[in-house]
Amino acid sequence: MTRRSIEIGVAVAFSAFLIAVPWLVPALTDTFWVSVITEILIWSLFAASANLLLGYVGLLSFGQALYFGFGMYGVALGIDNLGLSFWPAFGLGIISAMAMALVSGVFAVRLSWHYFAIITVVFSLIFYFLAVSMKPLTGGDDGVNFSLPPVFHFGRTVWSLTDPTFQYFFVLAVVSVCYFLMYRVIKSPLGKGFVAIRDNDLRASLIGLNVYVLRLIAFVMAGFLAGVSGALFAFFGRYASASYMFYQVSGEAVVWTIVGGAGTMFGPLVGTTLFIVIREIVSSHWEHHSLIVGLLAILAVIFAPKGIVGLWNGWMTRLDERDAAASAQLKLQAEP
Amino acid sequence: MRDTVLLLAMNGLIWGLIIALIALGLSVIFGLLDIINIAHGDFFMVGTVLAWFSLSATGNFWVGFIVAPVIGFFIGAVIQRLVIQPIHGAAALSIVATFGLSLILQETVRITFGATPRRMLAPIQGTIPLFGVDYEIYRLFAALIALLALAGFFLFLQHTKLGVWMRAVRHDRETAVAMGIPAQRVYVLTFGTGFALAAFGGAVAAPITTVDFRGGVDVLPFCFMAVIIGGLGNLPGTVAAAVLLSFLEGLIQSVADPTVARISSLVLMSAVLLLRPQGLFQGFTK
Repeated sequence: MTRRSIEIGVAVAFSAFLIAVPWLVPALTDTFWVSVITEILIWSLFAASANLLLGYVGLLSFGQALYFGFGMYGVALGIDNLGLSFWPAFGLGIISAMAMALVSGVFAVRLSWHYFAIITVVFSLIFYFLAVSMKPLTGGDDGVNFSLPPVFHFGRTVWSLTDPTFQYFFVLAVVSVCYFLMYRVIKSPLGKGFVAIRDNDLRASLIGLNVYVLRLIAFVMAGFLAGVSGALFAFFGRYASASYMFYQVSGEAVVWTIVGGAGTMFGPLVGTTLFIVIREIVSSHWEHHSLIVGLLAILAVIFAPKGIVGLWNGWMTRLDERDAAASAQLKLQAEP
Repeated sequence: MRDTVLLLAMNGLIWGLIIALIALGLSVIFGLLDIINIAHGDFFMVGTVLAWFSLSATGNFWVGFIVAPVIGFFIGAVIQRLVIQPIHGAAALSIVATFGLSLILQETVRITFGATPRRMLAPIQGTIPLFGVDYEIYRLFAALIALLALAGFFLFLQHTKLGVWMRAVRHDRETAVAMGIPAQRVYVLTFGTGFALAAFGGAVAAPITTVDFRGGVDVLPFCFMAVIIGGLGNLPGTVAAAVLLSFLEGLIQSVADPTVARISSLVLMSAVLLLRPQGLFQGFTK
């Protein structure tokens, strides 16, 4: 088996699984797991926003929860206070997250590495404390609840996220579109610019790239991803809460990304899946599941510093090398 | 009014001295090992819990002042050897590893100590009249202890072999190793010292705050602020920044609510980061 055939096989099996989830999973275990998978998809997008910055631009953001929170509150307040319907509220969530990312990015991306990490966490803390103190508007840690408006209605047929199967496919579609957009950006000249900055920002600036502007663009894009995931999570939970803006939430995105594999397309998804599945399985049997999560994070960085996807890529490369060696051998025998 | 201002400023000053101890531990670890230690707040929390356990085991509060830093030192040394050393100072990985540590420490305390926050009785009861109210004597005593510990630590850095080694390795690792300084051992001892400082801060602060397995979560951002505003690697700057920040928060709390005070110190911090990323005190102290 060659690397290409294995990877195509995995991709096909994975896509088939994702499409079959609403029927396959209840048949195998419980409908409960459909909602867990929905949640994993949403959080993986949040991790992807940390990954876009850390893995492709080399900026360690510890404040992505801020944009997640803006996405959440954009939706919740849009519906609850402004009386918006589904799509305008969705839009409001995304736009406010991106606007916030633009404003804080203008300041933050001037700094690099440690300083950048600290200022992103500081910005997110400022708005976390603001959200907690503006209780009449935001509901503080308790949050605000809202009732879900329908997504589409054509004549008399109404599609709403209250149907778990429709909700799953809606989330799957939105998340897939976001991953596709991210893939296109990474493969574009813009994405090459990002990677050039990650590898060496001085060299990138010497070949004429505007490091500041490129970092800002990446920061707003990451704000977009976090905003979409926050908006989706608000729809999913039918509420928004300041507690999701705390720095520990941002930290989880970074951890999921690094354990899954920073700088890879599917690393965040793998990391998120691992941690949420473990949380769901262990927490129902054992109260102290954080111990396992903590231990896992430590073991992951010690034994797989490039993440799980990095480990996989390493195996694939070795497979490639073996194939190349074998075909070279064959060629040698064929032409004596 | 004037009395409340003075009182809250006093509270801020005392809390700032304790925070300075903890932040110093963070700064030492950060400066020498290049580790962004997310678990540092929990090191402090472990200190408060150790003080609580030693009080309930021996019935003597003062034992905690010895027990917390000593046990903290050993836990820190073991952590460095098992967790920090294998990741070779990669900053991004250090965040994940210390995040895991933070979870493990919190959960271990939750299993052994319990999830309910508890209050610890101060060993020195009684109050003295200060600014028109009866001020707890223990708070003043805690400030004194924190000051002594800070002074002791700087003496240790200047005048002991290990202190000199620590400064040497931070200054220039290659040369230090070439001169025969065992860098690996210095790393272990430094991490232990960082933990011990935070744990000692915890033992001193235990009667002032509550003993709770989540007690470190609020302390952590504050310590990072002190380290950054003071200037990375500038130890006296860290101490000054911790005291200044906490003092300012105390002052602002007398006219506004604590959240506003916290937000204004965060805004101050952003300004420092953007305008003087080398820290507020670079060029004043060295």
